[in-house]
Amino acid sequence: MSTSNAGLAKKLGYTNVRAFLAGEPAWSEEGYPVYASNTFVDKGNIVLIDLRKGEAPVNGRIPRSVQIHYEQLEERMDDIPRNAPVTLYSDNMTEVTDAYEDLKAEGFKTVSLVNGNYQGWVASGGKVETGPIFSNEIKWVRILGKGEVSVEEFRKAVKGDLPDTFVIDARTPEEIKELGIFTNTVNIPLDEIPKRMNEIPKDKRVFIHCSTGARADLAYRELIENDYDVKFLLLNISDPECDCPIIMP
Amino acid sequence: MKFKTIAKFIPMVLMLALIMSGCAQQSGTTSATQEPKPAAVAEKKDANVLKGPIVGRSNKAKTISITVGAGDAAKTMMLRFDDNTEGLDFAKKGEAAIINWEQRGDDKFATVIKPKLAKLPEGVTEIKVDELYQLLEDQVPMTLADARPGMRYNQGHLPTAVSIPVPLLKEKKAEVLPEDKDKLLVFYCGGYT
Repeated sequence: MSTSNAGLAKKLGYTNVRAFLAGEPAWSEEGYPVYASNTFVDKGNIVLIDLRKGEAPVNGRIPRSVQIHYEQLEERMDDIPRNAPVTLYSDNMTEVTDAYEDLKAEGFKTVSLVNGNYQGWVASGGKVETGPIFSNEIKWVRILGKGEVSVEEFRKAVKGDLPDTFVIDARTPEEIKELGIFTNTVNIPLDEIPKRMNEIPKDKRVFIHCSTGARADLAYRELIENDYDVKFLLLNISDPECDCPIIMP
Repeated sequence: MKFKTIAKFIPMVLMLALIMSGCAQQSGTTSATQEPKPAAVAEKKDANVLKGPIVGRSNKAKTISITVGAGDAAKTMMLRFDDNTEGLDFAKKGEAAIINWEQRGDDKFATVIKPKLAKLPEGVTEIKVDELYQLLEDQVPMTLADARPGMRYNQGHLPTAVSIPVPLLKEKKAEVLPEDKDKLLVFYCGGYT
């Protein structure tokens, strides 16, 4: 993408065009901050964290923000969903930068900052909320991505409460021998899916899971290519949220 | 026709080997399908290279998924790999690769994987992360433009960057670029793909 734009600019007569090929992933991997757009801070499905101390948030804060001042961040880390995009702000750059690095080191993939911190938000005309804060609970629900099945629907299927559904476990037979398999589920390891396609009915909806969702995603792409009505579960099945009946080995 | 042209250029020994391996693989089938086989083998040989972004790699299932083709014609292909597959580290999620593969029985196996490097348009130079950081730190006058779709820009972009997705530049051309055509203009996106 960067190369096609660079080529286009060159054709338009720009003389000093360069391409940062490694792009945004390389930038944030170095620990350099990225900034969320104000519309995203306002409406995006994010966890917005206000790192300021004391009374400051009561006097004015960005709507939807959760107050976790920097010294509390470490102990509250486990309350932040790992797959949530997190946006941070404070009133000083050192604090947000430290928090950004801490979250990155902890394994959070999508972390961003508010442009110009709280002051920048106010200066750019962003909405502000004032008054007492009643809850510091993080309420964040992931929006299902393309091809994903919800845990509720998946659970219904393995319990046998969703007719015309064919559930595939894409893990290896060794993993199943050790950990068991969900009820109403057929084991077809990911690598065998292309040659065992004839075992998968075309007239039923198909759900696929594996241990974390990575292989299920790949199996999903393989089946969608072959015109199946298919969805996959993006969830670590050892997560208590899964709560599906298992036939133990 | 195609078979004849190819046969002219491939040494006879290699050709024989191809035909023989083709026969060996299909030893269970009836002899009625024998005749068009050499042509089929030659065509397969041509098609045994895949280029595109890696969707994912599963070390447990020993498979690699890669997207080939663009736009509506884009599709994901899954290949197996084994200990003999070369350059496995280049099959990294989100990065573009070139995969050579071969058919073994029912399965497609990756044999050699190489990184697919982005080709820079003429007159455009690459900038690395450290140099870009320094330019921003020194506040060197430049226009930094994010070429990814607007949604990705909104989620998180480099400091001072503006959003100029590819379709926007194609439509609006110089209108969305700085007036001064000699000013440093840096484009970035979501990595090498």
